[in-house]
Amino acid sequence: MSAPTVPNLLRAHLSDLALNDARLDGRSKFEGRELKLETGILPRAEGSAKVTMGDTIVLAGVKFQLMTPYSDRPNQGGLMCSCEVRPLAGRHWEAGPPSPESIELGRVVDRGIRESGCIDVDDLCIIPGEKAWQVILDLHAISDDGNLFDAFALAGIAALRSAIIPAERFEVGEDMPLKVSKKPIMCSYHKVGGRFVYDASYKEELGGDERIHITLGDDDHVHSLQKGLKGIFTADEFAEIMEHAKVRCAELRKIVD
Amino acid sequence: MGGYGDVRMIDENGLRMDGRKPGDVRPITIETGVVPVADGSCRMVWGTNEAIVAVYGPMEAHPRKIQRQDRAVIDVAYNMAPFSTTDRIRPGFNRRSREISKVTKDALESVVLLELYPRSKIRVSIEIVSAEAGTRCVGLTAASVALADAGIPMTDLIVSVASGKVNDVVVCDLNKEEDNYGEADLPMGVLPNSGELVFLQMDGNLSPEEFKQAWDYNVDAAMEVHKLMVKALKGGDN
Repeated sequence: MSAPTVPNLLRAHLSDLALNDARLDGRSKFEGRELKLETGILPRAEGSAKVTMGDTIVLAGVKFQLMTPYSDRPNQGGLMCSCEVRPLAGRHWEAGPPSPESIELGRVVDRGIRESGCIDVDDLCIIPGEKAWQVILDLHAISDDGNLFDAFALAGIAALRSAIIPAERFEVGEDMPLKVSKKPIMCSYHKVGGRFVYDASYKEELGGDERIHITLGDDDHVHSLQKGLKGIFTADEFAEIMEHAKVRCAELRKIVD
Repeated sequence: MGGYGDVRMIDENGLRMDGRKPGDVRPITIETGVVPVADGSCRMVWGTNEAIVAVYGPMEAHPRKIQRQDRAVIDVAYNMAPFSTTDRIRPGFNRRSREISKVTKDALESVVLLELYPRSKIRVSIEIVSAEAGTRCVGLTAASVALADAGIPMTDLIVSVASGKVNDVVVCDLNKEEDNYGEADLPMGVLPNSGELVFLQMDGNLSPEEFKQAWDYNVDAAMEVHKLMVKALKGGDN
């Protein structure tokens, strides 16, 4: 991402709004944008989902490959989560090798899904030491108006839960649904005008400071955390957003099949 | 070109495996404004192909070495999403995508009134999220709709269609199976108002008569597709 010239006016405006606990688009600080989740929308993918959050739109697609299990884990398949934000998604995203921002995006989403244990990698083994499934989740941004993290995480878990293992095409048995036992959900918070807001828009990201990403599992267990960008936060601030994340993750879990 | 002549792609009634007559195109839907943060955008579903195109600009051209003092430059990035094909495509540098980006840029620069925007850049991003056959044609056609949606002045839209040959029969708008087993492929970019061409590629083997037929199919199909493009841009249903 090329560093956009942050207009100081925008920062000042966001600070003024924060004094009255207001946001640019009229939301309250922990209010999310209108959200829509669709699955099974990509004909060539074995599992897919599209998430629309306001003007942020992302796609997630699942593909399968056969792999040789790693020698130290002969009974396990693999899970890979890859993210590439192409210049399609916004004027601030440029072509070229993956930027640190898009690598961070993919890795944070990957950790939340992986560490929740929602996919049993032992289940992906076909012949121990010889053949196993590698599940590849590709995250693709269509329109970036902020908070790609949460959109990717939601699209990712929904795509995995809709995926069918194409065993017949690879001649290793019958097609079957990929077993995904849990629903890890990510909630992201951005420091804007001196306080944390949920589901920041691109302008809020542009005129804001640090961000925090929290992924919670079915029983409120914490599966991944990430603090990004320059900024300082207190334990009390973290406790407050954690409380909100528990409530919001439970709500989002209901819309994922 | 596979050239497997023993696979039957045309039945005794002269119909193709998907029921089309030789000159028919696959079903097409076109939508604009699908990337809300872009200046112009288009989603085109053509058979099982789906392209999403976003246009940004005109904007400052950087790095400065790409600037032209007398006109704008168009920066085209064509890319196939990893999940757009049966076998996953590894993201990253790819010679095929580079070539398609270049010929698409060459076609678009032929219709956009570049001299209106000296020293600037217009960015066109083409993402193929589902591929069947003929993605370069869908990408170029959708790109011209997205440019129009962005309000960028052009002499004409571009309609790109390919014809080819299967089982020694010339057919228009090859689907995946026909493309795999086909014996030729002739993609063209037609300006529907003047009948002029801005894009042309070909590979395979066509006799002069077959070539003429393929050419005529492309021009006729372009006129049909053009109607859908105009309808989408004027806000009608299609």
